[in-house]
Amino acid sequence: MCDLNALWLDVLKIFPILGGETTSPPETVEDAVFENVYRHLASLGTIETLTSILNLEIESAIRNVLVPKFWKHFTLTENEAPKVKLDIALNTAAFSDPNALFFTFIYAIEELYNSYECLEMVKPRLLHLNKKLLLSSSLENTKNTLHNALLAQLPPSFNNFVCDFYSVHFRLFTKDLTLSLNTLDSEVFTDLPCAGCNFDLDQCCCQKLTEMVTTTNIKLLKMGLIDRLAGSALTALIKLKIKEHINDTCVGIFDRSHLKQLETWINDVVMTWLTCIFTEWKSKDDISQEKIPKSVQAFKVKLTYFMYETFAQNVISQFFSIIIDYPDSSPAIDDLKICMEKIDMRIHLTESLRSSLEARILHPGVNTMDILTGYIAAIKAIRHLDNTGVILEIVTAPIKDYLRKRNDTVRRVVTGLTEEGPTDLSEELAKGEFIKYGKDAGNNEYSNWENWEPDPFGIDPDVLELNNSKVIRSADIISMVVDIYGSKELFMVEYRNLMADRLLSQLDFNSEKEIRNLELLKIRFGESLLHSCEVMLKDVTDSKRINAHIHGDGNSDESPLFDISSLIISAQFWPSFNKESLQLPVELENEFKKFTKAYESYKGNRTLNWRTVTGKVNIVIEIGDRVLEMTVPPTQAVIIYHFQHKNEWSLEELSSLIKVPPSALRRRISFWQNHGLIAEIEPGVFSLLEKETEKTQFEDVNITDADEEDLESAMASASDQREEELQVFWSYIVGMLTNLDCMPIDRIHQMLKLFASHSGGVEFTQDELKHFLQRKVREHKLLFSGGVYQLAK
Amino acid sequence: MKVTIKSWTGVASWRWIANDENCGICRMSFESTCPECALPGDDCPLVWGVCSHCFHMHCIVKWLNLQPLNKQCPMCRQSWKFNIH
Repeated sequence: MCDLNALWLDVLKIFPILGGETTSPPETVEDAVFENVYRHLASLGTIETLTSILNLEIESAIRNVLVPKFWKHFTLTENEAPKVKLDIALNTAAFSDPNALFFTFIYAIEELYNSYECLEMVKPRLLHLNKKLLLSSSLENTKNTLHNALLAQLPPSFNNFVCDFYSVHFRLFTKDLTLSLNTLDSEVFTDLPCAGCNFDLDQCCCQKLTEMVTTTNIKLLKMGLIDRLAGSALTALIKLKIKEHINDTCVGIFDRSHLKQLETWINDVVMTWLTCIFTEWKSKDDISQEKIPKSVQAFKVKLTYFMYETFAQNVISQFFSIIIDYPDSSPAIDDLKICMEKIDMRIHLTESLRSSLEARILHPGVNTMDILTGYIAAIKAIRHLDNTGVILEIVTAPIKDYLRKRNDTVRRVVTGLTEEGPTDLSEELAKGEFIKYGKDAGNNEYSNWENWEPDPFGIDPDVLELNNSKVIRSADIISMVVDIYGSKELFMVEYRNLMADRLLSQLDFNSEKEIRNLELLKIRFGESLLHSCEVMLKDVTDSKRINAHIHGDGNSDESPLFDISSLIISAQFWPSFNKESLQLPVELENEFKKFTKAYESYKGNRTLNWRTVTGKVNIVIEIGDRVLEMTVPPTQAVIIYHFQHKNEWSLEELSSLIKVPPSALRRRISFWQNHGLIAEIEPGVFSLLEKETEKTQFEDVNITDADEEDLESAMASASDQREEELQVFWSYIVGMLTNLDCMPIDRIHQMLKLFASHSGGVEFTQDELKHFLQRKVREHKLLFSGGVYQLAK
Repeated sequence: MKVTIKSWTGVASWRWIANDENCGICRMSFESTCPECALPGDDCPLVWGVCSHCFHMHCIVKWLNLQPLNKQCPMCRQSWKFNIH
């Protein structure tokens, strides 16, 4: 029996695990002991039993001792964590909480590894003991059991430990790179803590840390635990690092491409680091392509895609700024384009861009010109990104909707088109590139079916359904801008009105620039829409010729009082004038009659209707010892002309003489008041000031005031034009009231709507009609009593 | 005070001296053009008949060409003769 006791002691010596010893590595045992034990066991026939006992023992040791012990380190609360004893001098106050995690991890791994090694020893010893034993899967089992047991008891906070450990690892690893980047300001750098270990440089412990980290990592690797335990934490960590890197290097810089740099960064830094973790490789220099394990290669693909995605999101979130900087920011757009080929981000892009546009420019605080500028920049930038125009269509829809609600949009666009100096629109117009607009839309869809291409993917099909016209999508900037209203007609009408205003206010018979603009517009919008503009410009050149002819004729015997030139217009092709009038003094009117006569004799069978209100008059005023020479509108000239013969006028008197309504007249007189020539001596009575006294103090005011006068349009306002349209119905109204004697307004409105639907469909509201009828009442053409209208007898 | 007018640049619209407003053939205003023309005035003149009716020249010429036998004024059915001033 004592034999058996001795044998048991020997067995224990060989397999300390049987005595519950799992921590310290087993002592070496002489071969003699092995021989002895083997002999005895063989004779007892218990080798098989021993093997299975060992297996059981290993398993239970792992389950009940190793793993719980290991996890215990990580379930400690923060406060208890520092209690872990470490024989490292660094474990002082300097290493506060975050580093405690790190050291706990290192210590736990070390412990686990030691125990693991212990267990590992069992296998070779068993082999040593029994050479006939088949190579069973016992060794594999140890690893597997360890994995299983560990994962079965994984505490939730463990990822933090891993993360912490590897971020230290990463920091150490990238230290050199950071250093090399910062060489320029190395002097500043010495004052900062070491990038690797966060200590002051003189106490830097990177070397030590690196050693610790590397050994721990190798231990993990040997146990085959990296993938299982650290995989997800590692991925999360790398993603975080990628995000940080992108934020550090790319934000706000649009004028150069970043993708290449990022790719090299992934390759050089992240991938080498990963390889370094997954292999036992220690220094950077002896790495070669073959040594990179497959798992790392696969990981790389994943990470590269992640990088693209993060980068693209980054760019998209700043896309508004990119749009604003557009021509300079095209590298950023190119980058995004590459990303979008790899990852589907259209929906994200369109949504984020729409909302940022809405937040930045589509509110009342932004003036229309700026919105237009933004719109044009967006068109350019997005077209650069995606030339099918689908994204553009979707993203700009809210801008169009919004611009449509602003009533000065058309005017701004037209001004932008024709303004002097570099505006986006006029440059675009001058480029002269044009897209056939509208004409090919209908038939191409079917006749050209062989060239049909599917719409790009990733777009909500409902949206596509709405904008199925490809022509608009591929249209150029001018067309996109004009497309805001969905009709070119409106723009052309506005263009005509503005051009009329310009021509009438300049009156210099110089239309070269207008002609150039018109030619460019004709290329784009077709001749028919711009026909009246063409006639208007021809009127200008014709007038110049006629003026020259009449002046050169000189057939009149008496020399004229003053030179008259006239812009002779074809009224049918100009926008209608407003209804202001002005009666000229007889002697002036005679001059105009002479001009008319000269015209009549030059152009047989034609005569002139003068529009006296519009024009400009160059006058010289001699008053006291002052001489003023100025160019004023005709009404002002006539007013001061009348003061020549009579120093004092009442408003009514003058008003009836020159046929200008008193309110308008008062406004005109104020022009001369500002010049210090006329004063209102008592309400409604104006008198000439011969003396110079008040002149100076008004000097400054007059300039702005005169400008204001110039800005007044000679053309009928929109509401006037509207009334003109309603005039069409006057004969209907008269007919109705003749037959039915009297009618309330809603009946009239209903009847007219019936007519209107037949005759070209002029739409009007009851309010507008009321306005119109009220005017007729004022003109004594209608009577209004008891809620009904009837014809005035 | 003395006011001297040195020059006056005014605006006037031209019109035909005719006893009607619209061309009886194309129903367009005289100051406008016949359907075939783009520019009014010199490029699309009016002509008068001895019957004192007037039309766009292009309109009446086209009308007369469509009449196989007796060329009549479309308004008063008198035989058409151009009234040369």
